[in-house]
Amino acid sequence: MLLSRLRRITFFDFALVLGFTALAAFMSLPIIFILNHAFKPTNELFLFPPRFFVQNPTFSNFEQLFLHATNATVPFSRYVFNSVVVVTMTLVSVIVVSTMAAYVLAKYRFHFKQIILSMITLSLMFAPETVGIPRYLIISGIHLNNTYLGHVLPALASPIAVFMLVGFISQIPNELLEAAKIDGASHVGIFARIVLPLSVPAIATISIFTFQGVWGDVETSTLFMQDETMRTLAFYVNSLLSGLQNSVAAQNVAAAAGLLMFIPNLIIFLLFQRKVLETMIHSGIK
Amino acid sequence: MGSITFNHVFKQYKGESRPAVNDFHLSIEEGEFLVLVGPSGCGKSTTLRMLAGLEEISDGELYIDDKFVNYVSPKDRDIAMVFQNYALYPNLTVYENIALGLKLRKTAKYDIELRVNRVAKILEISHLLDRKPSQLSGGQKQRVALGRAIAREPQVFLMDEPLSNLDAKLRAQTRAEIIKLQSDLKRTMVYVTHDQVEAMTMGTRIVVMKDGVIQQVAPPRQLYDEPSNLFVAGFIGSPQMNFVNGTVTLEEGSYFFSNKRMKLLIPRRYDDQFKRMDRSVRNVVLGVRPEHVILKAEEADDEERGFVSSSVQMTEVTGADSYVYVNVGESKIIARTDPGITYRKDDKPAIGFNMAKIHFFDENTGASLAIGGDEG
Ligand SMILES: Nc1ncnc2c1ncn2[C@@H]1O[C@H](COP(=O)(O)OP(=O)(O)O)[C@@H](O)[C@H]1O
Ligand SMILES: [Mg+2]
Repeated sequence: MLLSRLRRITFFDFALVLGFTALAAFMSLPIIFILNHAFKPTNELFLFPPRFFVQNPTFSNFEQLFLHATNATVPFSRYVFNSVVVVTMTLVSVIVVSTMAAYVLAKYRFHFKQIILSMITLSLMFAPETVGIPRYLIISGIHLNNTYLGHVLPALASPIAVFMLVGFISQIPNELLEAAKIDGASHVGIFARIVLPLSVPAIATISIFTFQGVWGDVETSTLFMQDETMRTLAFYVNSLLSGLQNSVAAQNVAAAAGLLMFIPNLIIFLLFQRKVLETMIHSGIK
Repeated sequence: MGSITFNHVFKQYKGESRPAVNDFHLSIEEGEFLVLVGPSGCGKSTTLRMLAGLEEISDGELYIDDKFVNYVSPKDRDIAMVFQNYALYPNLTVYENIALGLKLRKTAKYDIELRVNRVAKILEISHLLDRKPSQLSGGQKQRVALGRAIAREPQVFLMDEPLSNLDAKLRAQTRAEIIKLQSDLKRTMVYVTHDQVEAMTMGTRIVVMKDGVIQQVAPPRQLYDEPSNLFVAGFIGSPQMNFVNGTVTLEEGSYFFSNKRMKLLIPRRYDDQFKRMDRSVRNVVLGVRPEHVILKAEEADDEERGFVSSSVQMTEVTGADSYVYVNVGESKIIARTDPGITYRKDDKPAIGFNMAKIHFFDENTGASLAIGGDEG
């Protein structure tokens, strides 16, 4: 099997694989750098010429990071906790709201459907900065400052998620839903038993970018959270980095924080990316 | 249980100029195997979907078991449907696919297991129960779809072209199995197909539709022998019925069919019909099936009545029969012949019709001129 495949490799295949390997290696350089950087002792951090790989790995950067925070008014763990709560709540509610909205928009006929779809498409065009002020007015108007809901609500209506899911769900054959209807499934039943499981690849995709958006978001903490205890890890790391920009001593803290912010993104991506492929292979939907 | 009545049912899709289903009026008895047949786009699926409750009825009433069901949801109609593309739930195993309907109806777990296993055994898919639909062949998917329908033991089965995605051999085999299944279960079946062979072999009664309008409702034999109009005559039977245009004239008390090439004495049973047509020149279409066309290898003898000479265009041998395509003047005619006699292109055999088996249709309306008075 392997041999027969080997024999079929042409020069073009070889060049292709080589090219892509080189490209992949090049793309992974920053990741390798972040990983190594976080474990470098101070002398290595400032080595010139700089090195990619760490010689004497140490955890002292992380110790400093956690210590530094403990010296501030809010413990480091509080930021982590806030981030986890906010990300979890947002992810769950974005998935629930977007899939339900997308199912109805994709598979039901009702008045003003086209207008609603156009408005969703339109809202894809707004830069986040332009909605900062109206969001602030709404959040403070309904007194959600310094609450977790204040973090979640702005991210909840995710036009890009709805947009993607509408495209995906409309490809589910109507006959499937009709078969379920005849089998005795209610609207909720059809949604939960058929639509949701079949949308897993799309849900995985929107989960990845929703996670990345929320995990790295500093806007809600900056604008809507005046209480330091309600702010997230991203905000903390961000202020840490910007506050210590010129300080030589803080480069090690920055290196550790950089890795800390990056790791969950990687995990989520790997986790969901596998799911995306898996479901695509096994679903039998072409 | 399981009787169905359509009372002048219409379906008008928004934005369409004419109704997809136009005045569908029909009663289906319980246990009947009814086939809806017609060319693509004639409204068969729409009719079936209205019966299933998947499509709203624009006008008219629908009754199942004498119960008015226009507004009853599909799950409360006690029906099951098999779709052309099977519509198996890709995320569920074969077992779960068959069991879902039972589960949603709150059937006890041991009962579900019992029924799924029984159905699987009947359809010989027991070894597939743990698989996902994507791991099945077309024929196996088809069986699972059938299993899903019969597991619930509904009063009415609805099938929309369930065999059209199978290859010819599997189609013939599954056709036989569906017939057997229906007669074993004794449930009403409404079966949609565009294939007239399927319709003829399966249905106890056949509804032929065209452009949303019922053309004829009859058992297969009657549909074949007594088509009520040109459309049905041409649609049922393969190769299709031959049509020859001509006029009817009265000479010395007998009616004759004639055109440039032929003059045929029309059987007496048509006399009443022609008497009623009060036009002086009566334009008609003569219809005759290939098996009722007589070919004689020798050239036409002017003395012999009813035979004219023809010119062979091509021959088609199917095995048991052979079909000879001939031209008579402008008319093209297909004759079924004994495969023992070979006709070559440009042979000039004499051709005649079995006058006891011919049909006449009104050239303008297409309606058969023999309704009621035909004793074959
Ligand atoms: N959802 C729909 N909207 C508008 N027109 C439709 C719809 N479904 C079917 N039609 C039209 O109704 C007619 C009958 O369709 P259908 O019942 O599917 O035909 P068949 O099953 O006999 O091929 C066709 O002309 C088709 O274009
Ligand atoms: Mg159809």
